[in-house]
Amino acid sequence: MGFFTPWFLAGAVAVGLPIWLHLLKRHKTDPKLFPSLMFFEFRETSSVKHRRLDHLLLFALRVLMLLLLALLFASPFIRRSTAASNGKKLTVVAIDRSFSMRDGDRLDRAKNQALQVLGSLRPGDQAEVIALAGQVQALTQVTNDSAALRAAVASVQPGDSRASFGELARYLRTLSEAQKMPIEVHLASDLQKSAMPPGFADLRLAPATTLVLHPVGGAAKNWTVESVVAPRRVFDPKRVKIQATIAGFGTPAAKRTVTLLLNGRELQSKSVDVPENGRAPVEFLGLDAPYGFSKGEVRIDSADSLAIDDRYYFSTERADPRKVLFIDDGRHARAELYFRVALDASGDGGFHLETLRPDVAATATLANYAFVVLNDLSSVPQNLEGSLQLYVNGGGSVLAVLGPGSAVLPRVPVLDEAIQASSYAGREGDRFLTVTDIDSGHPALRSVDRFNGVKFYQAIHVSSGKSRVLAKLNDQTPLLLERAIGEGKVLAFTSTFDNVLNDLPIHASWVPFVAQIALYLGGGGAEQSLNLPVDSYVELRTGNSKGAAAEVLGPDGKRMLSLEQGVTARNIALDREGFFEVKSASGRRSLVAVHSDRRESDLAPIPAETLDLWKGTGSADSTPAGGAAGATGAADQPWGLWPYILLLLLGVAVAESVVADGFLRPSAPQREELKREAA
Amino acid sequence: MLQRFLDPTVLAGISGLDLIARTVVDGFVAGLHRSPDFGFSQEFAEYRAYSPGDDLRHVDWNVFARTERAYLKRYRGETNCQLTILLDCSRSMKFTSHTIDKLEYARYLTASMAYLAKMQRDAAGLIVFDDEVRNFVPPSTRQGQLARLLHAVEKAEVGNRTDYEKPFSHVREFLHRRGLIAVISDFWEAPEQVVKTIAPLRFHGNEVVLFHVLDPEEIRPKFRDPALLEDLESGATLEVSPEYVAKEYPAKMDAHLAEIESRAKGAGLDYFLIDTSRPLDAALREYLAIRKGRM
Repeated sequence: MGFFTPWFLAGAVAVGLPIWLHLLKRHKTDPKLFPSLMFFEFRETSSVKHRRLDHLLLFALRVLMLLLLALLFASPFIRRSTAASNGKKLTVVAIDRSFSMRDGDRLDRAKNQALQVLGSLRPGDQAEVIALAGQVQALTQVTNDSAALRAAVASVQPGDSRASFGELARYLRTLSEAQKMPIEVHLASDLQKSAMPPGFADLRLAPATTLVLHPVGGAAKNWTVESVVAPRRVFDPKRVKIQATIAGFGTPAAKRTVTLLLNGRELQSKSVDVPENGRAPVEFLGLDAPYGFSKGEVRIDSADSLAIDDRYYFSTERADPRKVLFIDDGRHARAELYFRVALDASGDGGFHLETLRPDVAATATLANYAFVVLNDLSSVPQNLEGSLQLYVNGGGSVLAVLGPGSAVLPRVPVLDEAIQASSYAGREGDRFLTVTDIDSGHPALRSVDRFNGVKFYQAIHVSSGKSRVLAKLNDQTPLLLERAIGEGKVLAFTSTFDNVLNDLPIHASWVPFVAQIALYLGGGGAEQSLNLPVDSYVELRTGNSKGAAAEVLGPDGKRMLSLEQGVTARNIALDREGFFEVKSASGRRSLVAVHSDRRESDLAPIPAETLDLWKGTGSADSTPAGGAAGATGAADQPWGLWPYILLLLLGVAVAESVVADGFLRPSAPQREELKREAA
Repeated sequence: MLQRFLDPTVLAGISGLDLIARTVVDGFVAGLHRSPDFGFSQEFAEYRAYSPGDDLRHVDWNVFARTERAYLKRYRGETNCQLTILLDCSRSMKFTSHTIDKLEYARYLTASMAYLAKMQRDAAGLIVFDDEVRNFVPPSTRQGQLARLLHAVEKAEVGNRTDYEKPFSHVREFLHRRGLIAVISDFWEAPEQVVKTIAPLRFHGNEVVLFHVLDPEEIRPKFRDPALLEDLESGATLEVSPEYVAKEYPAKMDAHLAEIESRAKGAGLDYFLIDTSRPLDAALREYLAIRKGRM
């Protein structure tokens, strides 16, 4: 028998407590003062003797209870032989089907190795076939059906995901716990170094798990297009820059030709010197893209056996600058000026500001605008608010800027939160307010440097019952609130943009703030990147828009969702390279380019000593001498005794309660005396 | 309403013995539905020449008939009843099982009796004793006597063990005039010894009343567990069982009380047992009954 946490046995010294209570304390009874002892006589009655017996029983139970408690915390276990003594074991055949296995005939060799392992099994031996990529996929149940196992091996196809040995180890630990028999794992893989988890502890195997490696790869030189940075939208083709990085893993210095293609048409080609085992950047200027989505590709001339990573897909959209509606009642001309200048200065010129009075805006078609700004309106026409609500429900976005004008309104338009009061930075307190609490990870606040140094003199206090507060001032007034309504969203900024209630418009964080807000709101719904790695998820619906169908077409042009999935699925994983056409539930269409994780392009294998260490984690022999696990044999597994001790402890606790109750309950004469007193 | 102030637990919340005494006596008297001058008889003191404005009802017309001068008759309270209170302040008097201890209760009783005596123009005195005479205030009707008595009562602290022999022989020297003697004690002594010591006070023509003050726990102790008892006066300890306390002790105690009462009455002493959880009026009533018998 051993203990998982033997130090808790020190708690057994607590038995000193009942010893003190029952044995020592009894001799130190405090005398009770009485006026005279002239009528008292010393007499030890039978009841005292009886009570002492009670004491001893109670004492024994209490000591036992404390000992059991200490034992419970020490977690004792015994080693029990597992089914190994019967010669039973489970054979797990794991085949790596990650992106790197596309190199040459690695996957075929891995499958052959797996078939050989299956061929060596005796009739009746239990086995399971699993495939390893981003996730572990069990291709069969635990079975002794040789045909099913062989068919599973044959069905393994190369994937585009990245291998993770950490996931494999986790799966094997779970399996060991469930099967309670020794496991022999045969891993057929190229054993890439990049498949290692960040911590070696994640590779830990359960005891009695034997790892047998079947390496099918080896060090190989490989060039790849490691990354491509392309704009999501192209408004002015001449101003577009495409940046690519060409990397070589285990390669000599070489000159590579890099080609930019758009919709299969070669646009530009450049030659670049890639240093030995290094990287080289390439930049293409201008992208003559047609309107709409385009399939882009950066390609290098192939010179290695893993040709599939010599290209990198990207997607971009050519569009006209989108209109932003700025609804202003004419009282804050400077706010419009500041906002317009910031929007123009913010980068790609994708937005065009259009200013309208509220009454005119009520008749405008809001669907034509990327988002709408309500600039401190003191009154919102009813039909304007109605059309704004429809616009937001349909996927539009509104930014409500609040100031002295809005303070007269009972509620924030569209956001539907109560306007409570106006907060001032008074002369008696702080001269100005600052932002103290900010969600800097939010897309709208990502580059604003936490509004450092910005002084706020007045803000409108808005309740935040249904909304999420993204930023707060130091007097706890919410500064920026967000609420998702339908497919769209509403932001409320509780101070103005006119450099009166705050100095934000003349501060360095103003332009990034406007740019981020415009990108966040102008994207419509959650702005999804168009260029994603394999196994990324794409959001198909944000609100509870049941009934509206989403649609995803794969690289092969086939639908990836059934009709039922189309109306219910909230997202979908893109599990292979290529271009995916996505139509979300809100009707927005996009072309998503998916590329494999380029860490797979580094084919360097794991060092042999690391592999030896990994194999050792599953063997009991590797545990340190004197450790809790002991070395009584690889087939022995610790068997925790805590449930039995817990049951025993409960029983003793009940017995202690019963005995203590009997001890404390007054005797029959005492009860009669008490009754007489009560009467 | 004032009756409730006779409850010792209520009195324990009142500070100042004079206020306690007043509260007790006024409450007690109000409960009797009699005049505060109960038992009071008036006695001629002197004549005074009439002066305009005096009440004509007090003019002695017989003197006027003889002398043709108007004189007023003046009266004074009857003072031939002298009350001496002997207060036991031995250590056993400190015992209590509830709000107030026996000594405190005895203090209230002493103060109330002194106040009642003052109201009736009786001369009141006090002797505080344990195994010695600790304080002595001679009986008097002088102005401020009540204050002196109350001060002495207030000052009475628990002393040593009780010894009736020595202090009572001194007491006999102090008392020259016939009167009423009230002994307030817990009488933790053999009844024979108690009566033998106190009875001589009766020989001078005094009325002696024994107020036997006991705590309810002394009469009927309640022990659920075996206990180690320590004698308050001697310091001796003894382990006793609850069975003994429940069965044999009450019988012994009852026999003791019966014997002390019987022996006291046999010696011509009045005896009155007081439970400190009970109101004070019963004790005062006893005092007045005896006082009335002396008139």
